[in-house]
Amino acid sequence: MFDIDKWSEIFATMIKNPLRTFLTGLSVGLGIFILVVMQGLGFGLQNGVMKEFNDDAINSLWIRRGSTSIPYAGMKANRRIEYENSDLDMIRNLFGGEDTYSARVSLWNANVKYKGQAQNFGVRSVHPGHQELEKTVLKEGRYINENDIRDERKVAVVGQTILDDLFRGNPALNEYIEIAGVNFKVIGTFSDPNGRWENRQIYLPISTGQKIFGRNDKVDMFILSTSDRPLDETIEMSEKIEAVLKDRHRVHPDDTRAIWVRNNNEEFGMFLDIFKGIEVFIWGIGFFTLFAGMIGVANIMAIVVKERTKEIGIRKALGAPPGTIISQIIQEATFLTFVSGCIGLVCGIGILSVLADNLEHDFFSNPRVSPWISMGALGLLMVVGIFAGLIPAVRAARINPVEALRDE
Amino acid sequence: MEVLKGIDLRIDEGELVSIMGSSGSGKSTLLNILGILDSYNEGDYRLNGVSMSGLSEKQAANYRSRFLGFVFQSFNLINFKTALENVALPLYYQKVPRSKRNQIALEYLKKVGLEEWKDHLPSEMSGGQKQRVAIARSLITQPKVILADEPTGALDTKTSYEVMDVLKQVNAEGITVVIVTHENDIADMTDRIIRLKDGRIESTGRPSEIAQDAHV
Repeated sequence: MFDIDKWSEIFATMIKNPLRTFLTGLSVGLGIFILVVMQGLGFGLQNGVMKEFNDDAINSLWIRRGSTSIPYAGMKANRRIEYENSDLDMIRNLFGGEDTYSARVSLWNANVKYKGQAQNFGVRSVHPGHQELEKTVLKEGRYINENDIRDERKVAVVGQTILDDLFRGNPALNEYIEIAGVNFKVIGTFSDPNGRWENRQIYLPISTGQKIFGRNDKVDMFILSTSDRPLDETIEMSEKIEAVLKDRHRVHPDDTRAIWVRNNNEEFGMFLDIFKGIEVFIWGIGFFTLFAGMIGVANIMAIVVKERTKEIGIRKALGAPPGTIISQIIQEATFLTFVSGCIGLVCGIGILSVLADNLEHDFFSNPRVSPWISMGALGLLMVVGIFAGLIPAVRAARINPVEALRDE
Repeated sequence: MEVLKGIDLRIDEGELVSIMGSSGSGKSTLLNILGILDSYNEGDYRLNGVSMSGLSEKQAANYRSRFLGFVFQSFNLINFKTALENVALPLYYQKVPRSKRNQIALEYLKKVGLEEWKDHLPSEMSGGQKQRVAIARSLITQPKVILADEPTGALDTKTSYEVMDVLKQVNAEGITVVIVTHENDIADMTDRIIRLKDGRIESTGRPSEIAQDAHV
């Protein structure tokens, strides 16, 4: 079906009407371009937020402490809450004691030495469950286990920053580092691709940490998994924990500053809502861009055919059958929308990949666009362009050449 | 609206005739019917012995393409095509290969003396040149009839005569030429003048006879 003569006639017509060709192409190309870029950016935003969230386990409760803001039970306000091991045991037992858990004792900056080198890193003393709750991915060795805690072993799991800065790339496993004057054996290493903060942490068994840092049975915070409970149950859990802890630590029931329970399930639900919002936004923009593109193409096609009425009349007078005229206009429109749409697509994807390489922000990552969406949009614009051209083309082909030729 | 009210007319092969009449007399409508560009409600139009009643668009296009050549007052060249491409266009619709039709088109351009202008766009040519290109275009399909609607209407006297010379030369080769005009001197150059008035044939005859009638 490829007719060289026909195509050369089509090309000649397009090349010799550069402005018309350019404008039609521009409206299609720009439509696709904007659609692709907006979609890509929207998905990039979504990916970024999602990635940020992926840092911690979603099904978890994070129980932190603060200071009281309301005097209660004979005690003044501004009293710092101190959690104890027994708080954790009590909370676990409230829900059957089966869920993954961890307490945490944190030191923001501890002096860590290795072979004469000394630097400050964060140190967290934790339970084995912390690995799952913080989503720590081990590189080598193992994580803290129950035996380490029972025997108060002096073992440590170190993050990527320690490997880079303190060990300078040398093997760290089974080496000894000195923390607060005590030697610890490195039993495991980890690297968290999303957490610069996370990577400068050193994990110790909770019992060892409490002893060495003089915290006795005190802990800074707890993390408790909600396992596979549905959202409303996890909300009940967090409310119950808050109530019980307030009671144990003599906090006024209305005091919101002393006991902090963050429910990741709930936060995740909120984020899911935000994602939905972003998605609606992306699709909304996509739809309206496409709609604007469609109107643009339809408009230009209609004008083009109108502008060519006289030419069509001449061609008819010279013996062109109506079908030839229609098919020429349609093929021209199809070809033009396809080529310019592809150019728009390629430019859009190009811009996105440049952005992806250069714009790595915390809340923005991996901007991309579904090939189906872009192809679909291109197809839709082509169909619209063809139909928009078809109606006036059919009318023009039907028009009496005499009328067409009078058209000045 | 009834424009033509009973036209009984026969134009023989090889004739050079002119159709005259004031505006509204129906001369353009008659020419359009002759050119199968317009339809009629009553009667019959036979072209080369074949009735042109009730043709489909496609058939009409086919007959136009095979039998008729058109020359218009406003030339109606396609402005983004060169002289050569304009002349060759009718052959495109007869599916003649490109190189062949360009070669034929060049011959016809030669015939109207515009060989040198083959690569020029219509906008770069004078009115007389454009009309000669249009005549070459109308001839390229080797039609039986050339229908010319005010072919000299947009040209000065000298150029008009040049164009008429070309048309007479075409007629001399055996092609029937029908010219619609309102200019007496142009009509005088044809073999027969058909005068229309209010949709009827007022008179028909040799230029000299008609001219005398007109001056009485």
